[in-house]
Amino acid sequence: MTVMRDTAVKALAKVQVQSDENGLIPEYEVLVNLLPVKLLNAFSERIMAAAPPERKAEVESGLVRAAYECGYHTGCGIITSDIFNDVVMPMVTEDEKDILRGAYAAFTAWGWAKSGIVQLKPAEKMIIRALDYYEADSGGEGLRGYMLRGLSQAFFDLAYAETYPDGMDTYVCHQTKGIEVGDPHGEFVVVKK
Amino acid sequence: MSQQTAHIRIVTPSDSDLKKTGNSLKESDNGLQGNLSLTNITNLLQFLSLSSKKGVIELNRQEDDKKGQIWFAGEELLSAVSGTLTGIEGFADLLGWEQGTFQFRPDIPCDKKTIGLKVQHAILEAATLLDHRANEQSAASNPPTEERSHLMDLTARDSSEVLNNLLEVPGVDAVVVVGRDGFVIESAGSSNRVNTEELGASLAHAINGIEEMGSELNVNAFQDMFIEYGRAVIMCRPVGDAIAAIIPPDASKLGVIRHKTKKLLVELGESF
Repeated sequence: MTVMRDTAVKALAKVQVQSDENGLIPEYEVLVNLLPVKLLNAFSERIMAAAPPERKAEVESGLVRAAYECGYHTGCGIITSDIFNDVVMPMVTEDEKDILRGAYAAFTAWGWAKSGIVQLKPAEKMIIRALDYYEADSGGEGLRGYMLRGLSQAFFDLAYAETYPDGMDTYVCHQTKGIEVGDPHGEFVVVKK
Repeated sequence: MSQQTAHIRIVTPSDSDLKKTGNSLKESDNGLQGNLSLTNITNLLQFLSLSSKKGVIELNRQEDDKKGQIWFAGEELLSAVSGTLTGIEGFADLLGWEQGTFQFRPDIPCDKKTIGLKVQHAILEAATLLDHRANEQSAASNPPTEERSHLMDLTARDSSEVLNNLLEVPGVDAVVVVGRDGFVIESAGSSNRVNTEELGASLAHAINGIEEMGSELNVNAFQDMFIEYGRAVIMCRPVGDAIAAIIPPDASKLGVIRHKTKKLLVELGESF
């Protein structure tokens, strides 16, 4: 037995969330909000377009970093949450590998990225393939899957680096293919920093 | 079938041929001959058996002057010899020949039946035997490793290219690569019998069950699975840490598909 993606996706997709008067959702030990993807993409597009050429790399790193910090803390909340324990953990037989499979099922269920693991060498390398993700239909130039880059790096840190919160920045994620540049899918490779 | 026949020449044996082969050839005055670089033994055998022919296919590999013979009658494979190997062992050895010449001599009787299986079944048995041998050789030459990262870095071709090559194998309608969790990693081709999008989850559940059974029975890791439904056939094989599902239109070419896809599936495994 391993984590069965369809089982996890179906169960996790049923989760009901209720925001407070400020629009914030207290879930997974953090405050989550529900905003249109277009808003984030418009922000990314504009800030990248406004950056002078010599600072574009720095701005891009900032966008990935924002996703990473969010993913690291939210991710810890997700994989220790009651719903994850109820739905995913009973199917876990391959430790961290299965937890990561469950995490990408959660990404899919909650609309963050229709994605899954293609290759995984524990604690060393992971290749993710995504058929849909935040920036897949965004405007701009070059590979720009900032969100999934940050999230993938965060989840690999959570799985294989030092125990939360001491394992930040152990791994790094590079994007090698992107729907936004005409590839059939996005591909993200996580390796040691 | 037209592709196969295009590579096969119908000939009338010369006088010298008749002299070499003795009296039995006098009963029939024509045959088929050709080169294995243009077709292969599985194609040839299928073509002849489905045409309800009977006789012997004689093979000659010039590089080492090795000779082989395959006797069949209609859809039954009667006997095979490759050098000193006989029966399924001999037939499996012949399937691995990529170079050489062949000649079909109709109506030559088989003196000793050493196989006695349907042609498709025999191809499947021989392909399984070749797989086991390859696995044993691989295990002997490669010490076991805990991880496969070194393999992950050796990917020579993009998985899409290999999938497209798999689609070129006659009888393959679609190929789907599925992660162990049921994530459809990649697919190529299409099938009007199986919804490839929905195959991922179902296949992952099935493989899980089969692997658990293998574990319970202590019979090593799962290597192959053929599922034949009333309206569909699915052939599955591990490729790296994923599973490749090959979807042919029916079961008639499973043996050939299994044989011809073997190397490509090994190559595909390097990507996953």
